[in-house]
Amino acid sequence: MELVNIFVRSAFADNMIFTFFFGMCSYLAVSKTVKTAVGLGAAVIFVLGITVPLNFLLETYILKEGALTWLGEEYASYDLSFLSFIMFIAVIASTVQLVEMLVEKFSPALYGALGIFLPLIAVNCAILGGALFMQQKQFNNVGEATVYGLGSGFGWFIAIVLIAAIREKIKYSHIPGPLKGVGMAFILTGLMGLGFLGFLGF
Amino acid sequence: MSEETKEALFSPKNKKLIAEPININNPVTIQVLGICSALAVTVQIDNALIMSIAVMAVLVIGNVLVSLMRNAIPSKIRIIVQLVVVAALVIIVSEVLKAYVYDVSKQLSVFVGLIITNCIIMGRLEAFAMGNKPWASALDGVGNGFGYGLVLVIVAFFKEVFGSGTITIPGFEKFHVIPQAFYDMGYENNGLMLLPPSSLIIVAIYIWFQKSKNPELIDEHGS
Amino acid sequence: MAINRDSNVYTLSFAALMVVLVGGFLAFVSMSLKPIQKANQTNEKMQNILQAIGIEETETVSRDEAGAIFNDYVKRRITIDYNGKILSDLGVADPINPQDKLDAFNIDIRKEYSKYIKPIMNANKGNDEKIKSELANNENIHFPLFICESNGNKYMVTSCSGKGLWDDIWGYIGFESDGKTISGAIFDHKGETPGLGSVITEDWFEKQFRSKSIHENGYSAIQVLKPGKNLDNHQVDGISGATFTGVGVDEMMGRSMEVYYNFVQSNPKVLN
Repeated sequence: MELVNIFVRSAFADNMIFTFFFGMCSYLAVSKTVKTAVGLGAAVIFVLGITVPLNFLLETYILKEGALTWLGEEYASYDLSFLSFIMFIAVIASTVQLVEMLVEKFSPALYGALGIFLPLIAVNCAILGGALFMQQKQFNNVGEATVYGLGSGFGWFIAIVLIAAIREKIKYSHIPGPLKGVGMAFILTGLMGLGFLGFLGF
Repeated sequence: MSEETKEALFSPKNKKLIAEPININNPVTIQVLGICSALAVTVQIDNALIMSIAVMAVLVIGNVLVSLMRNAIPSKIRIIVQLVVVAALVIIVSEVLKAYVYDVSKQLSVFVGLIITNCIIMGRLEAFAMGNKPWASALDGVGNGFGYGLVLVIVAFFKEVFGSGTITIPGFEKFHVIPQAFYDMGYENNGLMLLPPSSLIIVAIYIWFQKSKNPELIDEHGS
Repeated sequence: MAINRDSNVYTLSFAALMVVLVGGFLAFVSMSLKPIQKANQTNEKMQNILQAIGIEETETVSRDEAGAIFNDYVKRRITIDYNGKILSDLGVADPINPQDKLDAFNIDIRKEYSKYIKPIMNANKGNDEKIKSELANNENIHFPLFICESNGNKYMVTSCSGKGLWDDIWGYIGFESDGKTISGAIFDHKGETPGLGSVITEDWFEKQFRSKSIHENGYSAIQVLKPGKNLDNHQVDGISGATFTGVGVDEMMGRSMEVYYNFVQSNPKVLN
């Protein structure tokens, strides 16, 4: 029950794009056609689903104050949390690299679909944002963290696919010249964000 | 390293490094970079200002450091080295904020960490600092930092004035811009302006304005 | 220079040198700023507790001053469980020891909620009786309580925590010596919408709670209503545009204050 709660909340109410604007750069750059949007969205779900639990373990057993207690009582007072940014980004960058190599080796078909997007993801704010929010929300176990990662990824996926579908059609509308391109995409995202506020109960 | 013709510190070329990113090559509205953090911290002007200063500090110092090391960085691990430089700088910024401006660090919370993945920073390090000298890189950092901060402060200004009727500048009392008489006549603050989606719409209007002034920037084939 | 920048040896040694330098430098920065950061957190908590008493002398205390005068006002630090059993009772003579997890000052009220109370509430949604019995049976849940004194008058500062629209909210509530009338309230939040939900930290909202009562033929919860209604002795105005934050304040106060109310009923001596 708690897990369903976390999933729905992170996918809809706390949507990465519409409420936090995380990952906007690639969201705007890759949302011109639905096909590429689906590819990038799937890659984000995949990477968030792996890196959030990994970072959760890192946080709980190494970085947090008192996390090193499992090594022995004398380590209980160590607090490495100042390293969390650098460790999170290192985990993300290396996971992305590893996943890319593994996918290429074992599933060329999947690589064909996701491959070109994977390198883009290391600097996608949504991934680091997922890790930082995970740290803040103080989840109780890896399961919750994983579900949170998958939920956030799913929310990002919906957002980019929806906007891509609209942008494909909006080509046929008469938009004032200066608003063409990103300007219109911003307004659309804003309007969809207002719609998503409904999930919070506004 | 035997360039005899020393450039003046503020030669026209160097001035352009600062001026361009503020207007016609603005990192946020034209290059569409670094939006993630830009929009979420713009509810009050003071947060927007501190965030811009933090980003500019990281951008300038990072640019200079990478530019100094550009001939020593092994090409294979180039990106990782840049990432480490940025992450280390951001950690320092965040620790300093926590120690000396605790209230602000509480309000900015995760967004300080997200400076690491701010595409403007990685973009400038890779595109500019890796191929230019420290002084030019520093100017480039200042210019892009200003361009970023300008958009942030403009968005925050409209959100705060129409959303809360105040202007908050660090170090000063909250300044009420909408006179009490207006409220007495039935004027109400627009709560919608404070919610996240309205920042997007304000940026869009800013882009509209900017591109109508500079028609050469219009993206005719965009959708 | 004859060094080959593409060789593995060079790459590896560059990486190793970088790790050592960056790691060492960051550790140094963090170590040297740590005491200031810790002091900020402790002082902020002291400031909140002092302000929650709701008396003139401590109302405007700044964060930096709070540490120095904390012991002048806060005379006893008590930790109780949901049933009102005293788990720890310390006085001014006992210094705050960060290692003593039962010291009322060291109880992280946000964590009490997110780690222990929230799962119970989510698992038994709609079944209030079940929630209460589960809360009562969980020995991990602690409630801090501070007995304060000023000019011969006793006050009791209690705490509450819950969730707002986006994230956790929490607060310290002060009571007069009858243990029923609120003397002051301080709220804080993690990520409520600035300008809307975040208004709970503003003076006008917090001051409304003063002299409201949680007693009316037994326990009576404080209610946060939609703005603009007629208010009785147990009701305060909510914030327009931030209904959910108001609901959160209503819920967390209703749930937590009952524990303290019952505690004072069965231990009237603590406030004498």
